[in-house]
Amino acid sequence: MSRDYPPGTIRTQQVWKRFRADQQRMLLRDRVEQAARRLRGDRGEDWRWALRDINLHIEPGESVGLIGSNGSGKSTLLKMLTRVMYPYAGIIDVRGRIGALIEIRAGIHPDLTGRENIYLFGALLGLKRREVAGRFDDIVEFARLGGAIDRQVKFYSSGMQMRLGFAVAAYLEPHVLLVDEVLAVGDAVFQQRCLDRMREVAEQGTTIVFVSHDLPAVQSICRRGVWLEQGTVRVDAGIKDALAGYRDSIEAQSEASARVGEPLALLKYEVRAGSGEETLHTDEPVTVELTLAGDYRGDATLHLGVSEGTSSPIFQISHEIRLTGGDHRVACVIPRLPLPRGRYTLWTGVYSIGKTDGGTLMSWHSAGQFDVFGPMLDTPPRAVVLAAPVFVPHQWEE
Amino acid sequence: MGGQRAQVIDDREDRHPPGGVAIPDGPPPELVFKRRLRPVQVAHELWAARELVRALAERDLRARYKQAVLGFAWAVLTPLALCAIFTLVFHRAVKIETGAVPYTLFAYVGLIVWQFFSNTMNQGALSLANNLSLLNKVYCPREVFPLATMLVATVDMAIGVGVLGLMFLVFWTAPAATFLWALPLLLIQFAFTYGIALILSVAVVYLRDVRHLLPIITQMGVFATPVAYPLAKIPHRLQEIYVGVNPLGAVIEGYRKALLYGEAPDGRMTLIAAASSVVFLVGGYLFFKKLETGIADVA
Ligand SMILES: Nc1ncnc2c1ncn2[C@@H]1O[C@H](COP(=O)(O)OP(=O)(O)O)[C@@H](O)[C@H]1O
Ligand SMILES: [Mg+2]
Repeated sequence: MSRDYPPGTIRTQQVWKRFRADQQRMLLRDRVEQAARRLRGDRGEDWRWALRDINLHIEPGESVGLIGSNGSGKSTLLKMLTRVMYPYAGIIDVRGRIGALIEIRAGIHPDLTGRENIYLFGALLGLKRREVAGRFDDIVEFARLGGAIDRQVKFYSSGMQMRLGFAVAAYLEPHVLLVDEVLAVGDAVFQQRCLDRMREVAEQGTTIVFVSHDLPAVQSICRRGVWLEQGTVRVDAGIKDALAGYRDSIEAQSEASARVGEPLALLKYEVRAGSGEETLHTDEPVTVELTLAGDYRGDATLHLGVSEGTSSPIFQISHEIRLTGGDHRVACVIPRLPLPRGRYTLWTGVYSIGKTDGGTLMSWHSAGQFDVFGPMLDTPPRAVVLAAPVFVPHQWEE
Repeated sequence: MGGQRAQVIDDREDRHPPGGVAIPDGPPPELVFKRRLRPVQVAHELWAARELVRALAERDLRARYKQAVLGFAWAVLTPLALCAIFTLVFHRAVKIETGAVPYTLFAYVGLIVWQFFSNTMNQGALSLANNLSLLNKVYCPREVFPLATMLVATVDMAIGVGVLGLMFLVFWTAPAATFLWALPLLLIQFAFTYGIALILSVAVVYLRDVRHLLPIITQMGVFATPVAYPLAKIPHRLQEIYVGVNPLGAVIEGYRKALLYGEAPDGRMTLIAAASSVVFLVGGYLFFKKLETGIADVA
């Protein structure tokens, strides 16, 4: 019937999943009521699609970043890949052992000790006790659990649980490793080690599906990106293309989120090179000029920010202004632009000072994009993620 | 960097993107997921999960006997206390005729079976509901949870059987030579009990208030089953129907005959009970497997 795919292959064909949209209390008496309604011809069921027509073919050893806004169906898809959840329709075929970290406590039974959990999880993966024992020390060492390994897991902190969950999933040599957005629970150092480990198992040929809102981290791990939007695959492409599309859509959304009825509006903005050149260049002067319009009179704080796509700015600067009603022009000169080559988004917002301190005059929103020409950033070592691109003027000596 | 646009597969505006495929309104009906059960695969999965069954049962036993000061004595005290009450009420007041066999032994055999059943039913019914968080994280055949509770009840039963041995000493009798008949009866007992636990466990996930029915079933069941009295108390023409509905009746009666009276269990009753318990087991298993697919959705 189906071809024999090697371990590590993930295939989904026309997968659909729906959930009840109405509140369900799961009680017998509600069901009796429902049955009565159904007899009167009113089905009274309200379903909503969580995933529609998902077709994916992932080869062994591929690393795929699954991105999309909250509620787009990423966790649901991962749960169906681990077979915890069943599709409404379609074919799901995941070959080989699956290691998954879907929730913080993935695969971890709270009443058992860390040690028991490791063996239990190995058994569920189909490993022999001896095989688990061979990896046991690696797991404990990676998770930095030390003596806590013989304590019940319910007494672990959430960070410890996550570390154990990840270590177990990543060290029991699954053919497929599924990681949902849970790494954020760990501290920065541990996150870095997780990413390192994921890269390592990817190089050993493990198929990886990685969900995270930390887009640079996704980019550092994954070659391929699948962007889910409202339960459908919007883009399935190289990771850079998928991320670019996703970032653009986030910007478009925040631009579109209406700011009607606010006291101030951004009439126009300009980002121009201080040198008078056509294009902006790294480490050279730049002027940002804004014109605000509105009747508001009084003191206010103007904020300016620059981001690379996502909504967290790389830097933010602010300035007090006095508005007198009518148009107000303000310019900011940055003598040396600290941004490497790339496309950036300019953000701005204005908030009042004084009686109605902090009142929103113009909410924080992206005004538009600009391109910077100049050197690319140097490539960081394997699995090291840059929080934000910053150009630092420097000189090497030897 | 800069400028690249991703290729858009689904343009939701008109659903007919250039070069992409339109998303239909619903899945093709022939692809709607249907549960298919292949016995070999099911058996293989269950075998692969044996470690999990053991760990779950061990955890329950350890937790229970760590908390209770009396430890394993609990497994003995409940049936013994009931046995004492039954002896006072049924033997002294109602005068149940048990022939040459001491009534206390007679009742105790019934209580061991009943205790096993009610433990598995009560714990098994909650076994999925109590482990919902785990169900959402790891894949395993879900029937391991009621199975683990039955394993725990089996340990309790083994202790109860040990006490039965002591009782034989006290009453200065020996188990009858026909005691090997107990083995097929044991199978019937397991099959029926597991079938009920499967049905209730998945029912409690979808209908949370069903758990409030459990104490009522337990209370009524101990009197509706021939625990304190012989099966013969049930009108003769109703006995076959009764055993069909409640195979435990024939199981308890069979144990008594085999262990206490030295007779073979009634062949006809045993066969009816066996058939009925297979129906409960298979029916319960299919019911369980069918509803199992939605557990993670409502967890
Ligand atoms: N068990 C459930 N019952 C009802 N709705 C659910 C359930 N799980 C997820 N959903 C809904 O399905 C959609 C997708 O959820 P999810 O997969 O968690 O999204 P993501 O992980 O991308 O944030 C959401 O609208 C969510 O509300
Ligand atoms: Mg999620």
